Amino acid sequence: MTVRILVVDDHPVVRRGVKSLLDKHPDWEVVDEAVDGLEAVDKVERTNPDVVVLDLSMPRMGGLEACRLIRKKAPQCAVLIVTQHNSTQMMREALSAGATGYVVKSNIARDLVEAVEATSQHRPFGLEDVTPESADHHGGLD
Amino acid sequence: MKLRILVADDHEVVRRGLCTLLQAHEGWEICGEAVDGREAVEKAKELKPDIVVLDIGMPNLNGLAATRQLVQHDANCKIIVLTITDADQVIREALDAGARGLVLKTDAARDLVSAVEALQRNRMFFTPRVNEMVLAGFLEKGHAATRGETPSLPKLTAREQEVIQLLAEGKSSKEVACALNLSTKTAETHRSNIMRKLGLHSIRDLVVYAIQNNIIQVQTSPTSSADTSVA
Repeated sequence: MTVRILVVDDHPVVRRGVKSLLDKHPDWEVVDEAVDGLEAVDKVERTNPDVVVLDLSMPRMGGLEACRLIRKKAPQCAVLIVTQHNSTQMMREALSAGATGYVVKSNIARDLVEAVEATSQHRPFGLEDVTPESADHHGGLD
Repeated sequence: MKLRILVADDHEVVRRGLCTLLQAHEGWEICGEAVDGREAVEKAKELKPDIVVLDIGMPNLNGLAATRQLVQHDANCKIIVLTITDADQVIREALDAGARGLVLKTDAARDLVSAVEALQRNRMFFTPRVNEMVLAGFLEKGHAATRGETPSLPKLTAREQEVIQLLAEGKSSKEVACALNLSTKTAETHRSNIMRKLGLHSIRDLVVYAIQNNIIQVQTSPTSSADTSVA
């Protein structure tokens, strides 16, 4: 079954790079792209993707807020955060916002395909060991 | 015959995006990719590309230092530098280093193809914003000269520029020596010379200098607003 994906990043070159990685998978289709969180929320409603590949730092509306709205408006849609921020605190916030997966951009070539496979089946990726409780308990791991 | 392009960026997703963008242009091909400035210099010497696209902020050897080395090796080397910052000093240094094109990374999807086309025709390429900065800098330079002011930025040698980047990235003198095929003593001498020339007293000072002068770049923490860096 085709996995329908929305790619969200404010940098067009990064969107191209992400798309080129996803295009290699025959059963996946990038249905649309968005340049910020606001547009992402709007396009989720219109295109109903299975997975949203979502950057965190974007103008108008960042990835965390967009993630919360997407999960609220389209609970069936899984959100995979793709970011340059390799931080437990950020992972914890992504998890709290409803993200299913988390990939650090420096590892994207290695992790993206596996992460999309997992999140499309609503299995966590990159967030397995991060919970608000455990992070609080350890006082943050950064 | 196809135009052969070498693309260097330490972020794979950006490199892929740049390659996809350039490969889509008929008559162009990516002849090689590099993950840092050092590899870019090695591959450029080996592959002899028509055009080199270099990210400015790469580990081990940044894009400016790589540009200097490439131009020193071949004065006709056509280099486009991708920068995330619009600081005047960066623009000036890129031009001084010998870059023939300068593109803001955030504008790369729009401007990189035009930049390559310009260099293909033996022209230079600057985005409108860079053009403004270059003109403003030129005018300011003229005013400064009129006022009798002379810029007094300390000049580091190409080797010292390599050493300062590696030190600022956290490498020890021994590691610097290893990376550059030098003796530890020579690396330490470079380090002392750098500290003396720049009037620095500690590694902390050196790191601050390297950040302030865009020799290395630091990751910003995410905020609700846009992050200006790409990847």
